[in-house]
Amino acid sequence: MEKFFEIARKILAEQLNIDPAEITMETTFEEIEADSIDIVEMIMALEDMYDVEFPEDDLEDYPVLGELIKALYVYLEKEKK
Amino acid sequence: MKIAIDVMGGDHAPTEIIAGAVEWAKKSNDELLLTGKEDLIAEILQNYTYPADQIHIISASQVIEMDESPAVAMRKKKDASIVVATRLVKEGRADAVLSCGSTGAQMASALFILGRIENIDRPAIVAAIPNRQGSHTFLVDVGANVDCKPQQLLQFALLGKAYAGIDLDINEPRVALLNNGEEETKGNSLATESYSLLKAQAGLNFIGNIEGRDIFSAKADVIVCDGFTGNILLKAIEGLAQEAVQSCLHELEKIPSFLSRFDYSRVGGAPLLGVEGISIVCHGSSKREAVYNGIKTARDCVVKDIVKRQKLALTQSL
Repeated sequence: MEKFFEIARKILAEQLNIDPAEITMETTFEEIEADSIDIVEMIMALEDMYDVEFPEDDLEDYPVLGELIKALYVYLEKEKK
Repeated sequence: MKIAIDVMGGDHAPTEIIAGAVEWAKKSNDELLLTGKEDLIAEILQNYTYPADQIHIISASQVIEMDESPAVAMRKKKDASIVVATRLVKEGRADAVLSCGSTGAQMASALFILGRIENIDRPAIVAAIPNRQGSHTFLVDVGANVDCKPQQLLQFALLGKAYAGIDLDINEPRVALLNNGEEETKGNSLATESYSLLKAQAGLNFIGNIEGRDIFSAKADVIVCDGFTGNILLKAIEGLAQEAVQSCLHELEKIPSFLSRFDYSRVGGAPLLGVEGISIVCHGSSKREAVYNGIKTARDCVVKDIVKRQKLALTQSL
């Protein structure tokens, strides 16, 4: 989970041109001025990296990065099994 | 040439979109790939006589509605008409895509399917505003990005400069920042921070701030602003022009030629800059004439090879 978050954080920081240290599990997308395009782009980058397709539903229900990462990670682990 | 048209997007879709496409097919040799609900398109096409070898229906079962979150909807609706149409360009089956539907969905489709040009974060829509010299001043962005960062405004400036260079065939387009005063310190934080970046950019030919009243004066070739401001400004210009046309018709019984140049249905469409393919954004309220002229814009952009030339201009600028 930690490694997964680190990768997501790095992707997002690069997209937004900010220091990864500014992003924590508690960071809201609003705080770092990430819009839906940034979020979808991060998810697509993770999909490419892990060769998986995350479900599209309810992406907007996660205003906090950590919550979204947890949801994606749960799905990723389920897919591995 | 092959142009993909999302016939499901727009206030008058699909009837008026198809009508505009049929008109174009009759007057050109281009092939038009109409994406949308197959049965519905076939039914509407029955009302027309058209060159059958030039109009093809490409089935797309879904539509992205105006009230949906564009990026999320694009992922959810993989068989949406704008997604399918954009994919045709990506796959090399069409040279350009055109839509009158959700601008956000078109932008997201272009960004995620076609991809962005290197060093560009977000695509921007460029609109050609008629100026007093009988030419155009290019306004970037007129609606692709509601919230912008200074770095993005710098990128819009570079894209606008590249596009103006292509369209006006000039070497050093003059770039200005839309603001509420000409002085360097004027404006909100986005304007002042953007000013610093634009001023520092080598080779940009930045001439400073420009006020709204000078848009038509031909003082600048490219005017940069965020998409929220640009969209409001563009629609205010169009609205004022429409009112002026009505007044002229009423009082003079004719329309001065300068005013008729502001009729968006004559312009048709505006290209999305900064993406690896040609995507033409049309007004949501487009009827057949606007669609016809939008296809013409798409054709012009393909002929001028705007993607390759944007990339070349950016390489020279950065």
